[in-house]
Amino acid sequence: MAQTLLQTRGLTKQYGSFAALNEVSLDLQKGDIYGLIGRNGAGKTTFFKCVMGLAKPTAGEIEIAGSKSGLNAARRRVGFMISPSFFPYLNPKQNLEYFCRVKGVRDGGETDRLLRLVGLDGVKKPFKTFSLGMKQRLGLAGAMLGKPPIVVLDEPINGLDPQGIADIRAVIQQENRERGTTFIVSSHILSELDLVATRFGFIEQGSLVQEITRADLHERTKKSLIVDVDDGEKALLVLQSKWGLPAAKRDGNRITLEAHFDPPGAIAHALVTEGVALYRLAPQETTLEEYFMHLIGGI
Amino acid sequence: MLRYLRGEIYRLLRKKSFYIYFGAFALGYVILAFIRMGSSGERQMLKDAESLFMFLPPVVGSYLFAAIYTDDLHAKNLPALIGFGVGRIRIVLSKLLLMSLFGTVLLALVPLFMYAVHTVFGASPTGAVFGEVYAWGLKALMETVAFASLSAVAVYGLQRATFGIAVYLLLSLGVVSQLLSALFRWEAVHELLPGLAEHLMAGISLRMLMGLMGNGAVVLPAVEYAVYVTVAAALAALAFHKKELEF
Repeated sequence: MAQTLLQTRGLTKQYGSFAALNEVSLDLQKGDIYGLIGRNGAGKTTFFKCVMGLAKPTAGEIEIAGSKSGLNAARRRVGFMISPSFFPYLNPKQNLEYFCRVKGVRDGGETDRLLRLVGLDGVKKPFKTFSLGMKQRLGLAGAMLGKPPIVVLDEPINGLDPQGIADIRAVIQQENRERGTTFIVSSHILSELDLVATRFGFIEQGSLVQEITRADLHERTKKSLIVDVDDGEKALLVLQSKWGLPAAKRDGNRITLEAHFDPPGAIAHALVTEGVALYRLAPQETTLEEYFMHLIGGI
Repeated sequence: MLRYLRGEIYRLLRKKSFYIYFGAFALGYVILAFIRMGSSGERQMLKDAESLFMFLPPVVGSYLFAAIYTDDLHAKNLPALIGFGVGRIRIVLSKLLLMSLFGTVLLALVPLFMYAVHTVFGASPTGAVFGEVYAWGLKALMETVAFASLSAVAVYGLQRATFGIAVYLLLSLGVVSQLLSALFRWEAVHELLPGLAEHLMAGISLRMLMGLMGNGAVVLPAVEYAVYVTVAAALAALAFHKKELEF
């Protein structure tokens, strides 16, 4: 059975009458790269702020590495980057060494290893002169300082160029694979999360709408078939009478056959035989973005 | 808390402007002593100490206060510390300790530096003069730490560096003290609570200085001072505890 490293139960954060988080119950299991997906203002950062002790939840429970009380001590086992926060006058090595002391990490080459990992080794200039990409890289190194078993990353690829995005993805995957580090990553660049995450949580208006594994997600987003005809109502009746297809959806003269129902030859034959003019029969894979939008009712 | 203190000392000692700032002051003092060459002596050293330590809380103290307290706000470092499990009360107490530590080191070094400069330029101050210089230094140190602990309430409550520094400057330049003294001299207040002005920080530190020079009690102003700093630290911790941290 997978070990749960971070768990929230009914986590709620109210600002007056506005619920930034509404009874969020989330499980982060050992070895996960958990993609937390939500629109701007959906509650991702508030969730992280509550978990990291930066905001006091109105209600609910947080358990980190099996500890519900003494969360401050448990948080020492969590590395995080919500926004890269470093002293502007220190260089990257000095900034990491500062945090080594604060976290009680015996360096032993740890800062050099991390700086190499994120491509900042040998950089002597102070943090204030860094580009956004360099700041994000140092933020990632800071989050992984001391080899914490859990790393929280809020929008780690914001503002990065394609190479920077690929580099950060590679670092996350490498640390996950080689050290078993568990990540919880939020981003609204869903195509990127799709490449890296092993589990997904969809958050909307402060509520966790769904948690799903990568395998289950891909099962659900597997190919569907778009059928464009001259008479959608008749075509749907034909298809349902022949194959059932309770998940088939009709939008005017377009029918979408979900759940990888995919015998195009048989469908074309059945429709034409029943006198329905077939204009287009196209397989289509739902992207993570479309799945998310569909889930939250955006489309 | 020790880990955090170690980190902070590491950071402060690697801040280049720290050395530039104090180096410039030291150089300025040496140049001044050079210009006045020949007039160096015990009396001059005492006069210097009085002037120097009068400026220490607003000029040097404000730099120390900004470096210790408000750099965290500029760097958005407080959320990172709390996220790493450093408690808010520990942060407040550590900052107070750091301010006291750096202030004390400064207090220890400034009279030695003055002694060295005056010796180079021909004076040989006695132990009694040296003691008096340290007493003035202690007064300045007490004020610096107390003003910092009071300003910390603004730093942690408002999370704005500018407000924190502004409050520190208003306190250390005596603006708040002048306003309160004027209020306490107001007849209605004076009749109700006579001698209230003596219990402002300037009054407490002056009584402490007098006490150290053998002209009064030391214990009472020391207790008053401890209450001042403790209450201010408690208020800062309370303000910080209630504050949600933004990035």
